Amino acid sequence: MSYTALSLSQTPPLSVPLRFLLTAPLFAAAAGVVVLLFPEALLSRWTPATLAATHLLTLGFLAMTMFGALQQLLPVLAGSTIPRASLFSATVHLLLTAGTVALTSGMGFGSGVLMQLGTLLLWAAVILFASVISYALLRARSAHATVWAMGSALLSLIVAVSLGGGLLIYHGWRAPLAHPYTDLHLMWGMIGWVAVLIIGVAWQVVPMFQLTPDYPRQMRRWLVPLLLSGLIVWSVARIGFDAGNSLFVVVIAALLAFAATTLWLQQRRRRRLPDVTLSFWRVAMVSLMAAMVLLLLPGDHALLIGVVLIVGFAMSAVNGMLYKIVPFLIWLHLNNRLQQSGLWLGNVPNMRQIIAEVALRRHYRMHLLVLAMLLIAVLWPTAMARAAGAALAISELLLEWNLLQGVRVYRRVVRDASAA
Amino acid sequence: MAREVVFDVSELEPPEPLVQSLAAIEQLKNGEYLRLLHRRRPCLLYENQQKRGFSSETRAGHDVACEVFIWRDGDDDAASAARAIANTLPPADHL
Repeated sequence: MSYTALSLSQTPPLSVPLRFLLTAPLFAAAAGVVVLLFPEALLSRWTPATLAATHLLTLGFLAMTMFGALQQLLPVLAGSTIPRASLFSATVHLLLTAGTVALTSGMGFGSGVLMQLGTLLLWAAVILFASVISYALLRARSAHATVWAMGSALLSLIVAVSLGGGLLIYHGWRAPLAHPYTDLHLMWGMIGWVAVLIIGVAWQVVPMFQLTPDYPRQMRRWLVPLLLSGLIVWSVARIGFDAGNSLFVVVIAALLAFAATTLWLQQRRRRRLPDVTLSFWRVAMVSLMAAMVLLLLPGDHALLIGVVLIVGFAMSAVNGMLYKIVPFLIWLHLNNRLQQSGLWLGNVPNMRQIIAEVALRRHYRMHLLVLAMLLIAVLWPTAMARAAGAALAISELLLEWNLLQGVRVYRRVVRDASAA
Repeated sequence: MAREVVFDVSELEPPEPLVQSLAAIEQLKNGEYLRLLHRRRPCLLYENQQKRGFSSETRAGHDVACEVFIWRDGDDDAASAARAIANTLPPADHL
């Protein structure tokens, strides 16, 4: 078959998303090292090591991958390009990376100065990112559900980061202790930002890449507005009346409905080829349902919910997305670069040749093992914590290796083509 | 008399629908148009197809979500036949 140059006018340069996607696993591996060295991280929600590890995962891994993926998906899904994409990407990446390093070091070592520096850099990163992306979203010709979800997620990110910074200021730049607003920070971050963005992307990516039927139209229209208003009402009740936990049931029900629908759609997919990314998504959806059930149970399960929500739900879904987005981008840019320069007329490697299926499966098994070990370490605090930390670090280095494998294929094909 | 070439990419994983559609339109002979059966509106296809000198009409499909009718610019027989069939299908505005 002849491959002809594809137009990439809507697609930013490869480095724009890739610098974020290749940095993220290193932060998650660092979280593993923190747990390995300070196993008390899995004993209580309020140790410096817990705070550092959590923020290495949420800012360093989740926000990092989502910032990168949004810059790639926005032009393709919403039909709107980001002005000066390369400069914007490099600046946001620098601010987010430096901010995460400073904040988590400050939290871990109890340094107020580092926490101040980190907060400042992260605020700059989020304000710059949210304003430019919101501008691009407003300009978008498309007004479908994904665009609304992206906008809602950005709004929630601003709320979460403001609450986080506010808590640090309130506590005089000491690693914060228990405060009612901590839960607000956490829920706006994990549900308003992370879950809503994953939902918005799922509307498109699950049917497109997993060959499932579309999500029901009414669900696409109402789920994100329902989640967001649920969060707002719950927050107001929490602040104004020191109550409102019962209102959170709306949020829980909405997320349960999303997870159940996704699993149901995946059961009805057309082609039943084995697909590791599908397995990652299934783990993510089952974890999301488990976390919602845990929220309904009496008692304090904060650490357990944290592990299930961050590692089980969010990281699994992001892994599933990364393993589609990165090979697709490499394929797209490879195709275009070779053909436009008229260097080579052979076949470009297909998606499954860019990162080998066996390598994906190895990482998937490791990720499951990490999740199981973390859960055991939280439920029965024993020597397992250190081992779980080490396993997390290894698993994330596997992810980094796999993504770099894609980059190596890109470089090799370009080099061979130039030599030919 | 124009001839219809039906091509179903509705069960292929991205990026195969795009790659195979572009390969298929380049095979079109004089008087032929491509009737592409797709699961969604193929956003990346249009610009690439125009650059190669093809025009198209997009409609909501019967058995699949989206149908795209593509013909070579200047091939009037193929164009009018493709448009006539396309006009029997509902518009694709909501896709």
